Amino acid sequence: MVRHVVEQEMVGRVGRVTGRITPGHLGEVMIAVRGGSEAFNAYGSDPDETIGKGTRVVVVEYFPPRTVVVSPV
Amino acid sequence: MATLLSAAAAIVAGLVVAAILLLVLIFRSMWRIAEPNEALIISGRAHRPRGDGHGLGFKIATGGGTLVMPGISAVRRLSLDLRETDLEIDCVTHQGIPLRVRGVVIYKVGDDLVSIANAARRFLDQQDQMDQRVHNLFAGHLRAIIGNMTVEEMIRDREKLTQLTREHAGTEMEKLGLIVDSLQIQEILDPTGYIKNLALPHQSAVEREARIARAVADREATEREQEAEAQKALARRDSEIRQAGYQAEVDQASALARQAGPLSDATARQKVVVEETRIAELEAERTEKLLLVQVRKPADARAYEQVTLARASREAHIHEAEARAREIELSAQADANRVKLSAAAQAERVKLEGEAEAHASQAKGRAEGEAIRARGTADADTIKARAEALAGHQEAIIGQQLAEHWPQIVEAAAKPFGDIDQLIVLNGAQGISDTLAQALSQGIAGLHLARKLLGEPAGAAPLASPNGSGGLDSTVREDEKV
Repeated sequence: MVRHVVEQEMVGRVGRVTGRITPGHLGEVMIAVRGGSEAFNAYGSDPDETIGKGTRVVVVEYFPPRTVVVSPV
Repeated sequence: MATLLSAAAAIVAGLVVAAILLLVLIFRSMWRIAEPNEALIISGRAHRPRGDGHGLGFKIATGGGTLVMPGISAVRRLSLDLRETDLEIDCVTHQGIPLRVRGVVIYKVGDDLVSIANAARRFLDQQDQMDQRVHNLFAGHLRAIIGNMTVEEMIRDREKLTQLTREHAGTEMEKLGLIVDSLQIQEILDPTGYIKNLALPHQSAVEREARIARAVADREATEREQEAEAQKALARRDSEIRQAGYQAEVDQASALARQAGPLSDATARQKVVVEETRIAELEAERTEKLLLVQVRKPADARAYEQVTLARASREAHIHEAEARAREIELSAQADANRVKLSAAAQAERVKLEGEAEAHASQAKGRAEGEAIRARGTADADTIKARAEALAGHQEAIIGQQLAEHWPQIVEAAAKPFGDIDQLIVLNGAQGISDTLAQALSQGIAGLHLARKLLGEPAGAAPLASPNGSGGLDSTVREDEKV
């Protein structure tokens, strides 16, 4: 029940890239969740896209526990 | 009765209170609170699987409290605190440089339920061994991470280190329900000295700048110091000069002061001397006048007397001399007259004798002239006749001439022998005769030559020198030849 809520909550959240996302490499995004902010490993939704540090992104997919797929806002 | 009732009420109240207290205590024992840094893992009750049937099988409580039935459920606590593990590994960089790296990895159990569940399944009973596990795991990861980096990147490029940490360890840590918050490299031990060498060029440049700056500063300081020294010396010199000047003035003044006494003495004495001199002059004047009266006047008188006497005597002498001179003059005149008369007589005589002699000589000369002219005419006739004859008989005449001068020629030929003091002839008497013969033969040869020479001018030469001078010439030539 709780987990469901979390999954629901993750998709659509907006975060900030803290580690550059490059094609084929894992990046990092900070997302505000559960009253704090947590770092998630991140892939780009477009595999050929490079997303620079500081870019605002939206979570389009969530792979528990700590991996998200993001797309620039 | 009333007391009985009140007693029963008190008992009831006590029971109620006790019951409430008991309820509170029971509730306390069943209510568990999860602290912010921990998760409660509650197991035992049948947690029914949700949806697809793959439920957790236990309950996770984070934050807040939950009711646990003692004896039915078991509660365990999983710490969500930050943990760290020290790492120390020997590894090789991307460039193949061996390094010893000391680092620390900071991690925690993930805050989401999946991470907590993963961690709970793996570490619930081994929470104190978690560091060891992570250490072992991360040693390999760190070695791989450093193998992909150069030393320069390790020092400067934190971004790349984080990126590589995430890529290598992130997924694996997710499996364990852990999050790597940070990986820090604390120390790089560099046995080959690579890092030191890396720093060396810059360090040397800085050192060079420092040395240059120090040298420049030193030079400037020395210059300033020397300038200051020079100025000090100048000031000292000026001061000493001034001091010497003042000292000189002082000395002068004191010398003047010292001399003032003697000077005034001298001035006084000078005045005395002047006066004395004046007295002496006056005395001299007096003496002079005295002498004038006593000596000069009589002397003048005497001198006048003597002069007068001398003049008189001179007059007398002059008159005497004049008389004597007159006497001599007269006698000389007489003598002169006498001599003049005798000389005139003699001259007359000589004149007469001369005239006679001249007449004689004239007559003699005229006679001689006549004779010579007569002889010349005769000679001329002779030569003329000879010249005529010469046209035909030149040879005869030359021969005659040679015959006439033969003794002279021979003499000339023998002259060299005459000049010789001592004649040494090596082959005795024959030698002498040979020499003479040679000389004579030379003379004969000369004769031939002379004849030839005389013959050549076709009789002109003998005509030109009728008195035999031509013959003499030829003799001279012979002489030269000899």
